[in-house]
Amino acid sequence: MNVLRSQVCSILRRPIYRQIASVTRPFIPPAQLVFHDTLLEPGAKELDDSTVEALEDETDRRELEDDEFDPNDDRDKPHPDSPNFYSCRSSYYDNIVELQTAISRTRGTLQRLHLLPLPEFARKSLKPMPTVWKTPEEMTTDFETTMTISRYRRVTALLNELNEYLRIATTAGYADVADKIGSIISIFESGKKEAFLSRGIRKLVQLDQHGRSYTFGKRKTSSARVWMIPVKASSLQLNYDVNVEEALGLSDKPKRPPVNVTVSTILINNLPIAEYFPQPVDRERIVRPLKLAGVLGKYNVFTIVRGGGTTGQSGAIAHGIAKGIFAHEPETGTVLKRAKLLRRDPRMVERKKTGLAKARKRYTWVKR
Amino acid sequence: MHFLRPRPVRSSLKFSTLWSRQLSQHAQGRLETEDDWTDFQQTRTSLKTLMDGMSQYGSEQTSQWSLRDSLHRPAKDATLSALLASGAHFGHAASRMNPNFLPYAYGTRAGITLIDLDHTLPLLRRAAKVVRAVAANDGQIVFIGTRTDIRPVVQKAAQRLGAQGFHVGDRWLPGTLTNKWQMFGHETVRSKRIIPDLVILLNPLQNMNAIQECALSNVPTIAIVDSNVDPRIVMYPIPANDESPRTAEIIAGVLSIAGREGISIREAEMQRIRMAVDTAWEDFHKMQEVQSEPYTVDSRPRDSNAVDFDY
Repeated sequence: MNVLRSQVCSILRRPIYRQIASVTRPFIPPAQLVFHDTLLEPGAKELDDSTVEALEDETDRRELEDDEFDPNDDRDKPHPDSPNFYSCRSSYYDNIVELQTAISRTRGTLQRLHLLPLPEFARKSLKPMPTVWKTPEEMTTDFETTMTISRYRRVTALLNELNEYLRIATTAGYADVADKIGSIISIFESGKKEAFLSRGIRKLVQLDQHGRSYTFGKRKTSSARVWMIPVKASSLQLNYDVNVEEALGLSDKPKRPPVNVTVSTILINNLPIAEYFPQPVDRERIVRPLKLAGVLGKYNVFTIVRGGGTTGQSGAIAHGIAKGIFAHEPETGTVLKRAKLLRRDPRMVERKKTGLAKARKRYTWVKR
Repeated sequence: MHFLRPRPVRSSLKFSTLWSRQLSQHAQGRLETEDDWTDFQQTRTSLKTLMDGMSQYGSEQTSQWSLRDSLHRPAKDATLSALLASGAHFGHAASRMNPNFLPYAYGTRAGITLIDLDHTLPLLRRAAKVVRAVAANDGQIVFIGTRTDIRPVVQKAAQRLGAQGFHVGDRWLPGTLTNKWQMFGHETVRSKRIIPDLVILLNPLQNMNAIQECALSNVPTIAIVDSNVDPRIVMYPIPANDESPRTAEIIAGVLSIAGREGISIREAEMQRIRMAVDTAWEDFHKMQEVQSEPYTVDSRPRDSNAVDFDY
């Protein structure tokens, strides 16, 4: 390309010359046209060389505008930084390449340490390391490229592989390798990781300074607040386990050791259980968790219950008591879980629907 | 039934039982502590050491060839046998042959066009010369290979050229060169070199946009042309099979190594110039010192054989 041609073109592109420019004349609104009477002599169709030279100098002195950009000046400019420059998404592909190199290097290290390939029994012994990656929106802001689903999947597939290597390195005890992998992974981890992983996990009930547990139980529309405290074993204990034959020494069976049973109280809204729940069904329901856990006389129970009716209130108290027993003795967890006592019963009164007499009851079907 | 199971070779049978016996000891229990893991690693290390020690007593392996060598350690020059082995001579269906490809076609067999590799080799060498010259003149070279199997090929090839090498492994966005102001932004276009000095395409048929843009931006192109492609679309066509990844590895390897040579030639030349300039300056300074000294009888350079005259 002729070097001079670019300079001449740049001059010809200016509004003054457009009327005498080449065959293809772009449209310029009249307001932008600048006509200098002094420059162009009357009757002349072209400018003389001296005027052209003067204007060329002026162009050189002026700052280059976009349409005067000269590609021949490229030689002195530096190369673009990223080898992925011509993909127009250099930050995204740079990250992909970085992850791939990290994976291949880590794989090599673990192979040399004989930790890869890992047999099945060793894989089962790996520590679980659940992670939460950043959302596509967060990654979009980080990498300055739109994170489509396919791109996000590609990145997360590589991250999951790297996370597997992190698990192997930490479980086998190689802290330096694990730290290096961890530093790369932390860039892509969501800030809400702890919150996300701890969702749905039950908060542990703490016993207060007197050793009481405070739990909450619900059933239907009733809610019960339950306080449980272990009964202090006093010197005066009632021993109900008396067999006359054994006492007189006439029985064949071997003498059993006496069992000391403490007496506990259950108060509901400041009333004893027998007074608040006259029906034995309700009392049985309340006492069932204590019986299953084998702690019938061990804890004193104080409850405040509101809402609903007898069944709902007794169910709520039972739920609260089960949670309280679990707080005092976590070993009873399996038994109570199997009996579904730690579960908040989700059954609620179903609403009445239009066109039906009740929630499910239909009106009498009439043939005509 | 024992005789129905395939029997392994006697010598390796002993070894495999040794291995499985050692591993089954661990298979009974999980690896709980770090010591368990260390024992597990030590078992494997000891077995590997044993195998490495025993390997020197076996037959001598003269061939050091590995499957990954074609990508990671390609040859400097392509040979006819290597190209044949990679299937570079297989073209596309004879019915799809481009009439302009006829000079590079060897013939037809089984309904496909066979490519004449006697034409491929000199054209590949010519393209390598171009790459070497461009790289030696600090030129930017872009490798384009937009299929998943040739993505690592272009990545490696660009790596060999260092700061002057670039690659496009996924889609070439139309307008990269012709619409650069919008694609890269004003700051980047003003500050960095955008238009490359050479573009090498490994699958030109899928990247006609790139070829068109290179033509509009006056960028020379090299490409692997198959029998269904018109060789005139690029400046330096290399007739070969564009669907074979091994062929792409050989060709991209040859070109990228030529580029690396060009860069080292440039480095050597720059070093030579620097040395020449440095020595020239040293000589200049010495000369200045000599000239600055006042001329006296005693300061004349003395010749040992000269006779001293008394003036």
